[in-house]
Amino acid sequence: MDEVNVDTEKKSKPESREGIVIAIKGLKKSFGAKHVLKDINLEVKKGENVVILGRSGTGKSVAIQCIVGLLKPDGGSLKVFGDEVAGMTDKELKQLRIKIGFLFQSGALYDSMTVRENLEFPLTRVLKIKDQQEIDKRVEEALDSVGLLEAIDKLPSDLSGGMRKRAGLARTIIVNPEIILYDEPTTGLDPITSREISDLITSIQKKYKTSSIIITHDMECARIASDRMLIMDDGVFIAEGSFDGLHKSTNKTVREFFKDIL
Amino acid sequence: MAEEIAIPSWKKWFEGIGDQVGFFIDFFRNIFTGGFEWSEFVRQCYEIGYRSIMLVGITSFIMGVVLILQLRPTLISFGAASMLPKTLAVSFIREIGPVIIGLICAGKVASSIGAELGSMKVTEQLDAMEVSGANPLQYLVVTRILATTIMVPILSIIGDVIGLFGGFLALNLRDNMSFSLYFTKVIASIDFSDFLPALVKTIFFGFAIGFVGCYKGFHSNKGTESVGIAANSAVVTASLWIFIIDAIAVQITSLLFYR
Repeated sequence: MDEVNVDTEKKSKPESREGIVIAIKGLKKSFGAKHVLKDINLEVKKGENVVILGRSGTGKSVAIQCIVGLLKPDGGSLKVFGDEVAGMTDKELKQLRIKIGFLFQSGALYDSMTVRENLEFPLTRVLKIKDQQEIDKRVEEALDSVGLLEAIDKLPSDLSGGMRKRAGLARTIIVNPEIILYDEPTTGLDPITSREISDLITSIQKKYKTSSIIITHDMECARIASDRMLIMDDGVFIAEGSFDGLHKSTNKTVREFFKDIL
Repeated sequence: MAEEIAIPSWKKWFEGIGDQVGFFIDFFRNIFTGGFEWSEFVRQCYEIGYRSIMLVGITSFIMGVVLILQLRPTLISFGAASMLPKTLAVSFIREIGPVIIGLICAGKVASSIGAELGSMKVTEQLDAMEVSGANPLQYLVVTRILATTIMVPILSIIGDVIGLFGGFLALNLRDNMSFSLYFTKVIASIDFSDFLPALVKTIFFGFAIGFVGCYKGFHSNKGTESVGIAANSAVVTASLWIFIIDAIAVQITSLLFYR
């Protein structure tokens, strides 16, 4: 498939490696005979929100699962903070994961624990914080950031879809990650809640100075949250640019995504 | 798109064995590395042990009653009615109690662990735990396997006592035997070689139940139907292991104590 670049003037690759938190070159991943990622190239700068758009099954989630080491790539280079993920020991991978937050599509809250216990889990198990006052302060602060303080003692089963996403986001930001990976953060939500989550992603980027990769199908989320967008099709990126730049693209696949956008 | 390459079933079988060996090694490695999750371990002991007492108690009681009612006519025909307490005690403590309670725990506990971890896998909770830098094996697997290893023998002892009490009540439906005489006969008829091998056997039953439940749940596929498959497969496999362990234990016990 031809690769098109509709927004070359905005695709300014930095001269130095400084400021690049994620660098992916020629990433490949297959499941059996199915080649999901064929040749993925991506750089994410510090403080940047990158949105990856693509149809279901094109390998978007697989790409971000490779970044946190949940899946092992078959080929190519994947560096986070300058270190090759594939060559990391278990201990190094654990240290890396502390710096990367991952928001799952479902929120992935631990359903036997209350929201408070969900947020305490990474603090006590990963950061090994013992001081209960410090734990309480951080839990309340994180929940306040996502506007969910009133649900602190509720179980995940008592929360709505949007509240679960917020609680999942609070659990992600509580360890102050430098990178946040969002896997379809607005899927299954009504338009108003989707917009709230998208605004929240932007406000978290500003407040915590995080870099993010956001996997989504939601054009409104992409418009609100993206500094830069990439469109994935059949295991490769076919276009890259700003939301407005891609909106003007003449590429047929890109146009499909923007056809309902005025 | 290239065609999917079919993996031969024998290769899958060996891969499964390799996975289970790896899981077994990971379990032991995680017992001794990092912090032990005491609060989760105690919670699991409560869930697995305390919450199974009623089921184990009722089943054991009924088994005690049924065994006495079944044994009585046979022993009377041999003029050995006085042997009823001894026959019940030896058969219940050596074999029937541990196996029945093991199977009940396989049904209740292995399925519950398989379904719980399977559903955590489907809803990405296991992945979430892993990417947060926490260790799901330490938190979920080590605690559950150790809890079943400890609680199944305790449940077995409780079940034995309740079963023998059921036998006493059943005996008094037709005959008249005092509580003290019945239990004096029971205690006099069992010794170290009856009780200890049965207890050791239940430790292995408990380990198998916890291990199989955790393995099936942890390695379930990412689909809602796989939760049911994990639970079902955990019960079937754990039950099978109970019979295999029992057969091995009988051989070892016979060689050590009854030659």
